[in-house]
Amino acid sequence: MSRLTSLTERLPGTRLVSHALIALVIFGLLTWINQFIDPLLSYYLATAAMYATAMFGMTILVGLSGQVSLGNGALMAVGGYIFALTSLNWQTVPILGTPWNAVWSMVFAGIGGVVFGLLIGGIAARLKGPYLAGLTLGIAVGVPAIANRFPGLLGGENGLMIQVPYPAGGYAAATGGLTDDASTDEFLGGGDEPLYEELPDDLFTDEQAVIEDDFAGDDFLSDEDFLSDDDFLSDDDFLGDDDFLSDDDFLSDDDFSTNDGFTTDDVVPEEAFDDEAFGVEGDLGSDVSAIDGLDAGFVIEQWQASVAIAVACIVGFVALNLVRGRQGRVWQAVRDDPVAAAVSGISPAGSKISAFVVSSLFAALAGAVFAQILSFVGPGAFTLGLSLSLLVGIVLGGRTSLIGAMIGAVILVWLPEFVLDVSADRGWDDQITNNAPNFLYGILVVLVVLAAPGGLVGGVQGFAKRLNRR
Amino acid sequence: MTNFIDYFLGGISSGVIIALMALALVLVWRSTRVVNFAQLAQAMFTTFIALTVRDLTGSWLLALAAALASGLVLGVIVHFLVIRPVKRMDTSGAIIATFGVLIALEAFAGMIWGGDGKAFPPPIRNTGFEIGGRVWPFSPYDLLVVVTVIVLVLALTIVFTRTSVGLAMRASAFNPEVARLSGVRVSRMLVLGWAIAGFVGAVAGVLVAPLTTLSPTAFDVFLVFAFTAAVIGGLDSLVGAVAFGIGTGLVISLVSGYTDSSNAPVVALVLLVVNLLFKPEGVFTHHKARTV
Amino acid sequence: MLTIEDLSVSYGAVQALKGVSLEVPPGRVTAVIGANGAGKSTLMRTLAGLEKPQSGRVTFNDTDITGRKPEDVVRMGIALVPEGRSTIPDLTVEENLKLGGMWRTHAQRNTSLTRAYTLFPVLGERRSLGADTLSGGERQQLAIGRALMTGPQVLLLDEPSLGLAPLIVTQILELVGTMAKDSGLAVLLVEQNATTALRVAKTGIVLNLGEIVKSGPAQEIAQDEELRHAYLGY
Repeated sequence: MSRLTSLTERLPGTRLVSHALIALVIFGLLTWINQFIDPLLSYYLATAAMYATAMFGMTILVGLSGQVSLGNGALMAVGGYIFALTSLNWQTVPILGTPWNAVWSMVFAGIGGVVFGLLIGGIAARLKGPYLAGLTLGIAVGVPAIANRFPGLLGGENGLMIQVPYPAGGYAAATGGLTDDASTDEFLGGGDEPLYEELPDDLFTDEQAVIEDDFAGDDFLSDEDFLSDDDFLSDDDFLGDDDFLSDDDFLSDDDFSTNDGFTTDDVVPEEAFDDEAFGVEGDLGSDVSAIDGLDAGFVIEQWQASVAIAVACIVGFVALNLVRGRQGRVWQAVRDDPVAAAVSGISPAGSKISAFVVSSLFAALAGAVFAQILSFVGPGAFTLGLSLSLLVGIVLGGRTSLIGAMIGAVILVWLPEFVLDVSADRGWDDQITNNAPNFLYGILVVLVVLAAPGGLVGGVQGFAKRLNRR
Repeated sequence: MTNFIDYFLGGISSGVIIALMALALVLVWRSTRVVNFAQLAQAMFTTFIALTVRDLTGSWLLALAAALASGLVLGVIVHFLVIRPVKRMDTSGAIIATFGVLIALEAFAGMIWGGDGKAFPPPIRNTGFEIGGRVWPFSPYDLLVVVTVIVLVLALTIVFTRTSVGLAMRASAFNPEVARLSGVRVSRMLVLGWAIAGFVGAVAGVLVAPLTTLSPTAFDVFLVFAFTAAVIGGLDSLVGAVAFGIGTGLVISLVSGYTDSSNAPVVALVLLVVNLLFKPEGVFTHHKARTV
Repeated sequence: MLTIEDLSVSYGAVQALKGVSLEVPPGRVTAVIGANGAGKSTLMRTLAGLEKPQSGRVTFNDTDITGRKPEDVVRMGIALVPEGRSTIPDLTVEENLKLGGMWRTHAQRNTSLTRAYTLFPVLGERRSLGADTLSGGERQQLAIGRALMTGPQVLLLDEPSLGLAPLIVTQILELVGTMAKDSGLAVLLVEQNATTALRVAKTGIVLNLGEIVKSGPAQEIAQDEELRHAYLGY
């Protein structure tokens, strides 16, 4: 191990390659596993990868830079809303004029994260300890509330429904039908009102149906790589998946009949943005054939998981380079002794701001992935609870370690399920079952801070060291 | 103008309650240099206890007594079990630990009392006074709230400025080493600070509950308000906490009244950011303690 | 009165005191002099209970007080005036004084307060003002006054001259010398400024890098030029 480290110290290029290898191996492994597991597990995998993406940023911000932030849930909201708004409203990339796809939405979500990170980091760099925590607490509570201020643009309390940019042709529709209870309901909270009512009727046009079909014919079957996929935004299978919206009537004939009065000429192209989100009749046909023809394809949860895994691995690769490079040492130097760091030529403020920017970028990307997992963004998804979850995860896994972030992400997904299992065995009251995970989180966080500040990773390392000494 | 008076009156009772909450945060900060982010979760918990006692006995006074006693005890418990062992380590640890307590308490309350909002009936009429043929947004209950807060703040002021214990507590807060060298048992003063903070928080909880609904997370937003007020006041200043608590309550009431109540947290956030940008050391303190 | 035997204190790997032994008798001033970093402040802080010694023993009136907490040490009758004018600027002058000896009876405290105002009249004049309004010399008087309020038998003075004008230093130290003679107070004075300290002291002790290199009558030490060159740097 030490020989490996010294080798990588000598050759900086080697380090980059070894980090890339680590990221690629994890990516390959998870993608491979994702092919065989059932949709529920894919959904968990997607959620864990999303948490890990955000928590890599927490490792840097809270662990290395020593700034306790509760604002990362709000920064995820920034990323999620930007993803939703750009993919709902933009047909082409501004200035470039090339066709829009979900990768562009991710890019803009990331840019938004950087901008917000600069803003908050600029203020935060002047603050320490409790002041920073309190400010970010205010952000966690205040920022999602902004959505309520602009119900027209941001959808208010109900949020915005988006389609998952799911290249449908190559994949079979979901047959498991798990999402209605696993993701949508849980996060929509009390939003019982039908969300689709907010969408203008004139978007359901026949013209779009034709366009969609053409695209589908071209490359859906051949293209599984979302990074190069023009059709990323089209979402045919979305409709095949009735359970997903838990609303069987959603695309009933009645809905379409309201559009009968519209001719193709009535639709101004610029206005035709939301079309993909709710698809059209023609797509339903292609769905059926997809189900008939391919039974080994991806279901939507697997697609969501593969997006989440890809983003997590790219972010993890960047994080790994930052943490194990010079910047990682700078952050820790400023955390441990800002005065000494300043004397040796490091700007404490610059270091704190850069940690904020990086973690905001990661959070925003995680938020964009979260939006795709939920097919929805709304204040109910980006609560103070989400911000607290990130903090819990990073503390339990290990504050200063990227592996800790990954372990924390797994804990966040696993523990509630574990509690559900135990609850089913013991016949607990719903009231107990629903609150038990958070209760455990709270107790565990306190215990970890008191007894093992390094979290699970720190604890294992300490144990290994003691064994070695013997 | 009538609108303004209405919103102003409406803001007074919430303002004095926010003042109490800010006071609780300041009391803890002064004693242990920790912002207790679990303070209002503790208050939520003791208010639920009060509601249970009230439902069982029908007596509001007994309910209040139960809240105060449990507030005091809970403050001491959190201090002994969580803050004392963690305090010597990094400040991040202390902050994270208080959030751990917040998460656990909210979940525990959810286990016992459920997650839905519950009504906490006011002890006296909570419909506005009728003066000059018009109902004003200020009720007998609001009056009770204001009087209670005034009495409590006066009592605390006397304790802190006129008694030996108060002097010992202040000295322990400002300079623990000199206090110890003078013979003050500083660690006891810290416990006392947490106990009094728990007590004050419990009063705030019971007073605010009839004005809103009580649920495990109902006080989260008040935590933001109280923190804002405490920081603008300077975190060390009892006077500042009270003054800016009332101020924050009024501003929030006015903005909510003229625009929309969902703006309240955003308003608090803006107040906080502006304060941290332009007067990071707070208005009521002359220390330069916040930056590196 | 106060006996220190073979006292060693270290901060991590740095050993600040290496087996220091000395005696602080009542009714006079004992001065410990030495350059910066000689371990003078460590000695004082350890005696007051702020630092835990590694080894050695501190005995006060035949009671072992090694490693006791500062609040207990002061209650037994050993008061420290720490380096840097340790007043609390947020409190008034009178509050600073009243802080000392809070465990004592009301009558005892009133007597001490009157005495403090007699010794330092300027504090009486400013009793209700904030301590932050005082000048450096006045603050040092307040710090000593606060220590005297605890009714001590041993007064530990850590660098009282730091940052003060020579005239004020002389005044304060002479007052302390008179006080020791009149009331039987044992004073342990730690100073970098050797000339003034040795003028009021009966015994002088030279500390260097945590060890006592010389001790004897103050006058003798003051006249030892070789010693001055070697350890005091003037």
